[in-house]
Amino acid sequence: MAELSDIQNDFIRQEIEEFILKPEERQRLIDLFASASLRMQAIAAALIDGDNETVSNLTRQALAEGVGALEVMDYGLIAGMALVGIKFRENFIFVPEVLSCARAMKAGMAHLEPILSASGIEPVGKVIMGTVKGDLHDIGKNLCIMLLRGAGFEVIDLGVDTPPDKFIDAVEQHGAPLVGMSALLTTTMPNMGKTIEAFIDADLRDSVKIMVGGAPVTQDFADDMGADGYGKDAVACVALAKRLLGLSA
Amino acid sequence: MKPAGLDREFVIIGENIHTTRVVLLQGKLVDKLPGGEEGVRYVDEQGQQRHLIIPDFIKARQDYQEGRVKHVLIAVRLAMTGDPEGLRYLHALIQRQVEAGADYLDLNIDEISLKLEEQIEAMRWLVQMVEGRSSVPVAVDSSNLEIIRAGIEASRSPCGPPMLNSASLERLEALDLAAARGLPVMVTAAGKRGMPQDAAERVANASRMVEAALAKGIPKNQIFIDPLVFPIAVDSNYGLHCLEAIRALREKYGPEIHISGGFSNISFGIPLRKLVNEVFIHLAVEAGADSGIVDPVANNFRNLFLADRASRSYQLAAEMLLGRDRNCKNYLRAYRRGELA
Repeated sequence: MAELSDIQNDFIRQEIEEFILKPEERQRLIDLFASASLRMQAIAAALIDGDNETVSNLTRQALAEGVGALEVMDYGLIAGMALVGIKFRENFIFVPEVLSCARAMKAGMAHLEPILSASGIEPVGKVIMGTVKGDLHDIGKNLCIMLLRGAGFEVIDLGVDTPPDKFIDAVEQHGAPLVGMSALLTTTMPNMGKTIEAFIDADLRDSVKIMVGGAPVTQDFADDMGADGYGKDAVACVALAKRLLGLSA
Repeated sequence: MKPAGLDREFVIIGENIHTTRVVLLQGKLVDKLPGGEEGVRYVDEQGQQRHLIIPDFIKARQDYQEGRVKHVLIAVRLAMTGDPEGLRYLHALIQRQVEAGADYLDLNIDEISLKLEEQIEAMRWLVQMVEGRSSVPVAVDSSNLEIIRAGIEASRSPCGPPMLNSASLERLEALDLAAARGLPVMVTAAGKRGMPQDAAERVANASRMVEAALAKGIPKNQIFIDPLVFPIAVDSNYGLHCLEAIRALREKYGPEIHISGGFSNISFGIPLRKLVNEVFIHLAVEAGADSGIVDPVANNFRNLFLADRASRSYQLAAEMLLGRDRNCKNYLRAYRRGELA
């Protein structure tokens, strides 16, 4: 078990000290950052600061000097984003700040993706995302997609007003193990249930996990509809996706 | 109403009777009562302080457990079963909005239930109850045309025809209903297949709606345009998209048409929402809006247009809303330093 003082980067040390209050989360982040190299800590720090230019530059430099793409992803980008997610959950930061961190993450990922795909490294997981039939709202769904991609998922975005068979076709075509459905309206929420039924009718229900979200959606509703999980916002969506696919947070 | 500081009418569509409305369980409006219950404090029509007791059926809900109390939903549910406290609460919501200058009372019960029959029943009941108490007409608001139709059909229009809120390219039939009954109608800038991505798309969608409404014989002064307001938290240009669309639509259709919008959407996800909403209403009016789907009790329109535009808070919010503060950085920094009033 590492100590806070084992982390060399001042900014990250202060961030953990100030914002990460749950003991088990604190320890997990301390262990993570203490085992990261100084330059990975610097990438994470820039990401937490929402500075996409610095994240981009440091990532490019690290790769040029031989650091592995996976190391940058896990110890720089994903580690930084983990801290950001907790700050948001605990109301220390607001939506625009999470988004600027997510954009910084994306700037880093842009350098990593070609390397990862060229070396045949699979994405963390594949997710099909869409807003349900009858509903044209996509702001929340798009935030989820942005953070999922940032966390290393490959996301197939079906857009808005998505009928059940489009979800099913996408799962079959891409072999995705996870589906995320969004709805902003109480009048379209029941279409989540209809889509889940369509998966049952197509004999595919057991081969996918289904997660749902959107302002009026609740855990109870998700349970009633037979979904596998509910996320209350984009940060929760990423944590849920990892849990449903059996990945560690 | 005609607010001070404005040289023309501003049509206030009061949004306070929506089942989505929330007060915070830990906030200053919820009291722990001597009997152990929790109650949402309010002042009734007679000026008496009272409490809407939070009933047990709400406590199993996730929103309650996360600290959010859906007070209007509670009041409607209670009142529909004959509970006098629920009814009193709704009466007070009606009275306060009318006194604050509301020209229409917008009614939305979409969250009352997931069952269409129950939503329809609640809308019918609410329209008639509100019309029985209010001196201004209602606006029947839902994302489902069946619910809107039920509300319109239930209306007895004692103080003017109800507004239909809303029609859009994905449900053009709503215009027939408005035209047949001579109703004012809100038309939105939503596209047939998705939400507009910029100002030009808003103008294009809204124009198609306006043309369709005019073609059906709805007069210009009965048409309200909702250009659609998205949260500035998500994209620093979302304020501009809406404001530019307002400006272009006003230019295109002249002074008679109404330009409105759910302006409080702009502040979702950022702190001090009231400040941000008020500044955005100013900017929208400057761009040519003459109406809003707004909370006239929280945003006091009697002095809203008299606010000090030189104050630092106003300036920071305005810069953010005009797309000059990327990721709301300056605004949020000032907020954390306690510099925003």
